[in-house]
Amino acid sequence: MADLRFENLVKHFGGVHALDGVSGHVGEGEIVGLVGPNGSGKSTLINVLSGHYEADSGKIVLDGEDITDRPAHRIIEMGLARTYQIPRPFSTMTALENVSVPLMFGSEPMSPGAAREAALEWLEFTGLDAYADEPVSSLNLHQLKYLELARALAARPRLVFLDEVLSGLNPAEVNESIEMVRRIHASGITIVIVEHLVRVVTSLATRIMVLDRGRVIADGDPTEVMRQPEVVTAYLGKRAQSA
Amino acid sequence: MKKPRPWLAPAATLVIAVAMWFYPDLVDAAGWPIFYLLFAYTVFFWTAQASSWNLFTGFSGYFSFGQGAFYGVGVYTVGVMVVKRGWPLLPTFLVGGILAAALGLSIGLVVFRLRRLRGEIFALMTLAVAFVLGAVARISSTIDGGQGIPLSSVPTPEALGTHPQMIFRLGLITAVLAVVVAQVVQHSRLGWGLFSIRDDEDVAETLGVPTFRFKMIALGLTGFLAGLSGAVHALQVSYVTIEEVFNIRVPLMVILMSILGGTRHWMGPVLGALVVHTMSDRLNRAGLEAVSDIIVGALLILMIVAMKEGLYLRMRQRPLITAIGAAVGVAGGFVLGPLDSAVTHLGYTLLGAVLGAMIPVGSRRQRPERGAPAAQAIEEVVGG
Repeated sequence: MADLRFENLVKHFGGVHALDGVSGHVGEGEIVGLVGPNGSGKSTLINVLSGHYEADSGKIVLDGEDITDRPAHRIIEMGLARTYQIPRPFSTMTALENVSVPLMFGSEPMSPGAAREAALEWLEFTGLDAYADEPVSSLNLHQLKYLELARALAARPRLVFLDEVLSGLNPAEVNESIEMVRRIHASGITIVIVEHLVRVVTSLATRIMVLDRGRVIADGDPTEVMRQPEVVTAYLGKRAQSA
Repeated sequence: MKKPRPWLAPAATLVIAVAMWFYPDLVDAAGWPIFYLLFAYTVFFWTAQASSWNLFTGFSGYFSFGQGAFYGVGVYTVGVMVVKRGWPLLPTFLVGGILAAALGLSIGLVVFRLRRLRGEIFALMTLAVAFVLGAVARISSTIDGGQGIPLSSVPTPEALGTHPQMIFRLGLITAVLAVVVAQVVQHSRLGWGLFSIRDDEDVAETLGVPTFRFKMIALGLTGFLAGLSGAVHALQVSYVTIEEVFNIRVPLMVILMSILGGTRHWMGPVLGALVVHTMSDRLNRAGLEAVSDIIVGALLILMIVAMKEGLYLRMRQRPLITAIGAAVGVAGGFVLGPLDSAVTHLGYTLLGAVLGAMIPVGSRRQRPERGAPAAQAIEEVVGG
């Protein structure tokens, strides 16, 4: 079970309304695409839902339990994991050590020794096992994004937020990553994916939520949502719509 | 993939400690100077202090100048409770540690709750605590009252031998305790949690590390070990004053020793304490008191710049050239002479090993420091 509901989430940064009353839900087994122009609040929403930021107001409920004010380390323990848009590896650790950290915590914490062994499985899943003992400085961007994935998956989540796992990758790497997301979903993990590439989102997602200036302007079937006038306006501006 | 053996280092440390327990008897039987015991004690003292500092700051990355406060609480606990109140000595050591741990936890409770607190502010706050404590102790006549406390009359346990033998053994116990705690922490979930906090605290928290609790535990351990070591040190100073205790010397020394030796491994502060104290002791003995701080300071800057990863990891990466350096140091000691003391020998050997390790020869892969170039490159690619 992974049933996430959020109501009227508000987050201000000074005078900027990054989230201006965002509500929605993510159900078991979905792949929800979270799209919207730059600055529309996608990353902020993930930051709030994962406990990275505290919401100014609003409510977050996971499987009927209110998790709004929980610290981030309790939220991942309940099965919500995330990746960072710009990879943020632990820079003084090897790839293997990076992945072993989440295994030592959470609902079934392992000893450091056991965590190292289990971490190797997740490096294999993401194809990074050859780099296990490499310092992360020797990994390229594509590999670092996979390392983010491996680390989030090692926390054994039920739902994972993928924040632009494909941005900055070349076309071959994008295709490979799409397959990876499908495999993660096939293993029984619910996914919320933030992505700029509309082609990718519409092919992957079972549902799409569109954010614009901190508000949800559309929510529904991928192909239908992307044709709605508000969505086209938000993405391309007024003239494109009338043309 | 290397298999970690977390029990190996503590077991070896304990074996060495048991052997060293009888070192005072050897000094006595061989008729060596008492100075050998006092020199070793001072190395133990700095080892305990530097290991304690490194446990929190080195592992978690939060820069603390609070070492003087923890140390001072330990010294003054013995001064006030034993001298003025007549408490028994050994339990008071523990009380000194516990009070310093309580101080650490109180600082943590305030500081770590303020979420946006930046690193520099944390450093300044810990420095301020030491000065505030010093001021309070100076005003309060129950603590010090500005008069200082004479400590030479403290009754000491006879079971541990003569005064130099006793101070050696107490110093050994505190140093071994601090080192073993650091070893255990380094290989535990607590240690990995602290390392991940040091690298990126936000990410550590979102990956499940209970960052607040771990920082509190580490700061509490640091306080306890530093307070315990300070309490023992009270027996080594004959007269304690505010100016000598709550000043910047202890924090600066432990920072230098730990950074020189390397903050990422428990061995770093141990090696740093040995090298720094031996060098400054030998310079003083050579009649260079006036310039010894300048020479030590210059050498430290050189070493830290040349070996960012710390002396210990550097030596481990290039054992051969370090050993050659140490051998040259031993030989040089004989040539240069006069070898009036085994400590001078040790000084030349360490100097040779350090200089050997510093030689910039092609090294194997090194772990990047914080703020690795890779992260910057990514920021340029993705953020742009």
